[in-house]
Amino acid sequence: MNKTVIQTTHLVKTIPQAGRELQILRGVSLAIDIGESVAITGLSGSGKSTLLGLLAGLDLPTSGTVTLFGQNLEGLDEDQRAALRLGRVGFVFQSFHLLENLTALENVMLPLELGASGTDRTRLATEALQQVGLAERLSHYPNQLSGGEQQRVALARAFVTRPQVLFADEPTGNLDRETGKEISDLLFTLQAQLQTTLVLVTHDETLAARCQQHYRLVEGALV
Amino acid sequence: MSLLFRHWQQRWRMPELRLLLLALIVSVTVVTSVGFFSSRVENAMQAQARQLLGGDLVLTSARPLDKAYVQRAQALGLETAETVSFPSMASISDKLQLTQLKAVSSAYPLRGDLKTAAAPDAVEVLSTGQIPARGEIWAEARLFAELEVQAGARVTLGRSTFKLTRVLTQEPDRSSNLFQLAPVVLMNVDDLPATELLSPASRARFNQLFAGQVKLIKQLQQELEPQLKSTERVRTLDEDLSSVQQTLQRSGRFLGLAALLSVVLAGAAVVLTSASLMRRELPAVAVLKAMGMSRRQVLLDHAFSLLLTALLAAAIGVVLGLVLGLVLQLGLAEWLSRFVGKDLPAPSMMPALNGLLTAVVLLLGFALPPLLRLVNTSPMQILQGALQRPQQSLWLVVGCVVLAVFGLLWLQARDVKLAGLLLVGLVVGIGLFWVLAGAALRLAQHLGKRVGGGWLPALGRSQRAVLLVVVFATGLFALLLLTTVRTDLLDRWQETLPADAPDHFLINIQPAEAAPLQGFFSEHGVKATLYPMIRGRLVAINDKPVKPEDYEEQRAQRLLEREFNLSSFTTFPASNALLEGQWFDGKQSGLSIEQGIGETLQFGMGDKLTFDIAGQRLSDTVTSVREVRWDSMQPNFFVIAAPGSVTTMPQTLITSIHLGDKKPLVTALIRQFPSVTAIDVGAIVNEVRSLVEQVSLAVQGIFVFTLIAGVVVLIAALQSQKAERRRELAILKSLGAGQALLQRRIWGEFLLLGALAGALAGLLALTAGNVLAYYLFDLDMHLNLLPLLMGTLLGSMLVGVAGYWNLRGLLQVLPLSLLKA
Repeated sequence: MNKTVIQTTHLVKTIPQAGRELQILRGVSLAIDIGESVAITGLSGSGKSTLLGLLAGLDLPTSGTVTLFGQNLEGLDEDQRAALRLGRVGFVFQSFHLLENLTALENVMLPLELGASGTDRTRLATEALQQVGLAERLSHYPNQLSGGEQQRVALARAFVTRPQVLFADEPTGNLDRETGKEISDLLFTLQAQLQTTLVLVTHDETLAARCQQHYRLVEGALV
Repeated sequence: MSLLFRHWQQRWRMPELRLLLLALIVSVTVVTSVGFFSSRVENAMQAQARQLLGGDLVLTSARPLDKAYVQRAQALGLETAETVSFPSMASISDKLQLTQLKAVSSAYPLRGDLKTAAAPDAVEVLSTGQIPARGEIWAEARLFAELEVQAGARVTLGRSTFKLTRVLTQEPDRSSNLFQLAPVVLMNVDDLPATELLSPASRARFNQLFAGQVKLIKQLQQELEPQLKSTERVRTLDEDLSSVQQTLQRSGRFLGLAALLSVVLAGAAVVLTSASLMRRELPAVAVLKAMGMSRRQVLLDHAFSLLLTALLAAAIGVVLGLVLGLVLQLGLAEWLSRFVGKDLPAPSMMPALNGLLTAVVLLLGFALPPLLRLVNTSPMQILQGALQRPQQSLWLVVGCVVLAVFGLLWLQARDVKLAGLLLVGLVVGIGLFWVLAGAALRLAQHLGKRVGGGWLPALGRSQRAVLLVVVFATGLFALLLLTTVRTDLLDRWQETLPADAPDHFLINIQPAEAAPLQGFFSEHGVKATLYPMIRGRLVAINDKPVKPEDYEEQRAQRLLEREFNLSSFTTFPASNALLEGQWFDGKQSGLSIEQGIGETLQFGMGDKLTFDIAGQRLSDTVTSVREVRWDSMQPNFFVIAAPGSVTTMPQTLITSIHLGDKKPLVTALIRQFPSVTAIDVGAIVNEVRSLVEQVSLAVQGIFVFTLIAGVVVLIAALQSQKAERRRELAILKSLGAGQALLQRRIWGEFLLLGALAGALAGLLALTAGNVLAYYLFDLDMHLNLLPLLMGTLLGSMLVGVAGYWNLRGLLQVLPLSLLKA
């Protein structure tokens, strides 16, 4: 059985800027195995988030290939790539991106609602929130929660479908040191429990140190 | 499905969706209620017009009509009736009286009612489905008075003698000859040949009346028109408007305009709210797309929400509109039924459909572009921090909005050309607001620098401020325009119908009776001016003989067929306006004509007109053109001759008087002056007055809705910029700006924006109000600076309070949390 879940070869991404082509990624090749935790670090503007987006199939590279779950993303349209992610990929963002008009429970139920019907969404979402210690906060709206609590809800939302891969973009970037520590502990615990592949973008070296693999991006290339 | 429904419910928590619903409800309600009201009034008008004709279609000729026309109509399944009318002498022993004889067939009238009474002072009753029996005649009360007879008398007409059985009090197609001097005598058409009155020389008018389904009537008209002989023509609903109809038509136009304004305003609110709703959904969609949501799902989810919102708004709006429409008609329904007789047309359900369509068009046009943009949101954006709206073709947005606005205008106006003109007007108006707002803000910025308003420079540069001014100005403009037009219109209507508006016309006053009659009036404290009334037929223009066949227009033909009422007096009539030339002022020659008749018959200043007045000729040159207010309830004349120029012509006198509760005076007057005929127009005056009141009530209703629409626009505009304002306040706070400073800044900015918007709106409302009054409602232009003042004051107050109220919550929040959110 192929144990590689994500693989890239000679990934190049350029964007037009002020009439010139700006090269953001310059030939990135990497492979991530099932269940592995991988950190991608680099300075601001080094292309971390762009790489994360390409790995998850949110965008397509200018050249080179990305293979996700054994499927080459080249030639797939936006909806085909979305279908590939559905139920198998989770996301955690720096600014949480919870839906303000939804309660914590409803936010966590969202990814379940995208998939097949018939599952007991309320039960699964409640359990996920219990796991992140927010059993008492089910009906709270994001603006009634602290930053740490909001990121916990985001974690519950990311893990509720038991995804094979979790992409995390600076998950502790908006939190103070102590809360950040709590969140990262929770993240790694859940990842271990569910044997999820974790792809983590951060510039926090201590966080990166907790991952099994560590890639450093400098000016769009791995070093 | 249940999931889509649940998502819709969840979106309810966003103020934008609630605002969207409110904006939609307002437009649907306004469209439905106004449509409901106007369609009822319009149906009533049509019904009344049909009564005036006595049928749905009338074929008229100076010669007997071809029977083939009737056979064709009967083959189509239409009802038919015929009438023949001509002047004839009636006699009883040695007394003679000129009458207008009208012979009718058994089905007459096809539309409207005949009313009769047993004696001149007896109660009037409806004569259902009956005409005079063979050997009997009915006549107007005047004939009884002139011949000094009672019911049952035997009256000779030509070679036959008839029993005069009833008093004719109402016949449907009489109104066009209200001032006809000869009393009408109604007889059975089967008795006509025996009288031997009808000869090729008699000035008879043969009418064939048709009634039935609209499409069959149209079919008959299309078939008949090509085969008509030169003496024959079709008369349709295109009649001269009565004073009541004129009022109805104006009120209809005004209500339509009012509705249009609030729909456009609500449309602006829909644009703003749907755009900010979609902007708010942007991060959510990006997150969901990252999780694996497809574009189809995004589209389905949001389209479902929007559609459900539109349907809900339509349902609520239609119900509200129907209720409001009913309330507006509470008094009206009873009034209309009096006005049009027993068949008050049922209200049509079209307005409800119109309301629904309005909601759908509003959403399709205004929410579709942001929805498509939402669908194309790239999930990648969520990782890039700043969310950027996906690029969208400007043409798509402009195309959608323009199409939708055009659709809305068309739904209201039902006229492609008018809708197009309104669209152009709207675009020009908004463009004008945009340019003026930008200029005004730059000016404010310039002045601000001098007086030290430190924050003003920012204002001058920002498109945001311009947008706010344009939006506020549009809203205020609608409100001000409605207020001024409404007040002006109602005031000026009331002016034309003062409490002492005449309620009786007295006609047929003999010149010898003038002095004693004036004595009678002063004895009883009644004000009256007597005008000579001369019946004359126009026979030549600039010495060239004129005939009805020379004109294509039906109205022109009619005017030449019958006699006009001419007059001659010294004082310029108060209810007229001089358009061209000079009033007589001492001159003893010249003619003053009414503008409309000159246009119809194609004569004007300097043309020489020749009239045949009972065999005598009157020739003179047109020296002035007047505009006449036919709804003034004063005697009005198409042609007025110079004072003294017609004294030798055969004439009677006419006057209008206000009797009010002194109505019994009429009986005394008639007893003393038996040849005078009194026509009670009190009912018409009351009808016009109650209609004006009803319309003003309707307008208040629309006004309230426009106000709501205006407030929704205001809030929508503020809400659409809230996120930006939030960031801005956070930055200012973090830089050390205190509460008091921020409060001052917010108040200052919004008061200024409001004042600017209000002043612009006032200025444009002032201009537009006058233009509308002049072109649409036939009222005079006048300068009233109140809108400008009111606009500035109202604008600064309304926008100041709303702006502060919208942002006050953000003042309490800590800068950090503002930035984080």
